[in-house]
Amino acid sequence: MQPVIEISDLKVFYEDAQALNGISLDVYPNEILGIIGPAQSGKTTLLKVINRTLEFTQGTSIEGTVKLDGIDINSISDVYGLRRRIGMVLPLPVGLPLSIYDNVAFAPRTAGLRNKTDLDEIVERCLQQAALWDEVKDRLDSLGTKLSGGQQQRLTIARALSHQPEILCLDEFSIAVDPITTMRIEDVLKTLKEEMTILLVTNLVQQAKRLANRTAFMLNGDLIEIDETDVIFSENPTNQSTYDYVNGTFG
Amino acid sequence: MNANIMNRSELIYHTIAIISLVIVIILLWNFTSDGSYVEGKINSDVITEETVSTIYGQLYRMIPTFCGVILFSIVISFYLEEWLQQTSWQYQIIERHIAILARVPSLVVGILAVYFIFFHFQNITYYGLLLTVVLLVMPVTIQSTQKSIQTVDISVREAAYALGATRWRVVTDHVFPHTFSKILAVICTAISRILAIAAFLVASVWIYGSNSFSFPKSVILLITGALIVSVLSSLLD
Ligand SMILES: Nc1ncnc2c1ncn2[C@@H]1O[C@H](COP(=O)(O)OP(=O)(O)OP(=O)(O)O)[C@@H](O)[C@H]1O
Ligand SMILES: [Mg+2]
Repeated sequence: MQPVIEISDLKVFYEDAQALNGISLDVYPNEILGIIGPAQSGKTTLLKVINRTLEFTQGTSIEGTVKLDGIDINSISDVYGLRRRIGMVLPLPVGLPLSIYDNVAFAPRTAGLRNKTDLDEIVERCLQQAALWDEVKDRLDSLGTKLSGGQQQRLTIARALSHQPEILCLDEFSIAVDPITTMRIEDVLKTLKEEMTILLVTNLVQQAKRLANRTAFMLNGDLIEIDETDVIFSENPTNQSTYDYVNGTFG
Repeated sequence: MNANIMNRSELIYHTIAIISLVIVIILLWNFTSDGSYVEGKINSDVITEETVSTIYGQLYRMIPTFCGVILFSIVISFYLEEWLQQTSWQYQIIERHIAILARVPSLVVGILAVYFIFFHFQNITYYGLLLTVVLLVMPVTIQSTQKSIQTVDISVREAAYALGATRWRVVTDHVFPHTFSKILAVICTAISRILAIAAFLVASVWIYGSNSFSFPKSVILLITGALIVSVLSSLLD
């Protein structure tokens, strides 16, 4: 099977430190790949390389290759088009200073969609998928930044889905979301993977266990182990530190 | 990045900044060192109430130009912050010169303006006033606009870019609305500076005219205006 994302020997340097020390992994279509690992292990950095937003951090340099559908992302000249193929949910909800409606309609509009009925439809579908529709359907015109933390987080999920990405990257999406809503979103993710590939960075190892087909364990910029989720969470993963981390006896 | 290279480029930027300052000082010295030059030009007889209304006329005609200068400064700030790489040498050089100019006390600019406009050119010219306002308004405006742009969280930018927005969309849809009230404050500060320099010019004319006519009350009005706009500016910030 042709991988959607092929990462080989990826190294990332920030101005004063190396964040990824040569990572290689493939992501296959319609899988949920869980990425777990303690703080500072380079999970967020990895996601930012894939949608090429790391370019906005001053003084970074990247070595190695990342291919999307077999094409090196650095050779793609339409970087805006590339980013639209990837949905990104950041760890802290970032409400764009726009209304709820406009937040979700932003990406489709950017892509050139103007038809009001189409936009309405997208906004409703995405808010439904993010389990937010019922709470906001009567106040779509109020500011997105006025929602509660958990609601804003779901708004960013709706936003990430609005451009029908091929790949959905979730970076600790449940950090500000209550457990019940988290479960609802997790259910949505299970159905979404029929349509797209999902990269799920999470601090909750149980979340990876529940959702991911395969799980990658990262530590201090290294990819320690990547395998079927069952194997990672079994009694004998290849690496001892994986076992320790998963079972909470790490460090 | 190698620390040595950073230091070397820092040194180059400083050197360029200092050389340009020295050139300015030499030019000034050439113009002014000969005291008689200034004295010969002072002719209090030609300074009348007429002169004051000429100044007002000129200032009035230049309002669109002043607006242009303010707008241009804001555009430059956005260009510097959003389009230019902060680590590029262009950014560094512009940044450094703006930093120096912004620290020049406005009184110094005012005195230079009086000197050039009245003694050197012997007239209240378009370019004399333009230069004054550029020196007085641009560096400060650019600097404060830059600061307000920098307060826009990087995550807002990243979020917008992640949705496939172009640089232009990110600036017009996100950075600009975020900074809008701060930019209004910056504009008020600029206006207040222009009002103040106008008051200073008119008052100087009255002094150089050796009190041959009664003190123009409009100066008080200008100063009051400048103060009110300053207060407004701090309210908006
Ligand atoms: N903007 C930045 N400038 C400099 N260094 C950075 C920057 N962002 C991240 N780093 C460094 O890169 C390394 C990896 O950070 P990253 O954010 O990718 O980790 P993470 O696995 O996402 O951690 P967390 O679980 O805390 O989110 C860290 O050592 C961090 O200090
Ligand atoms: Mg992170």
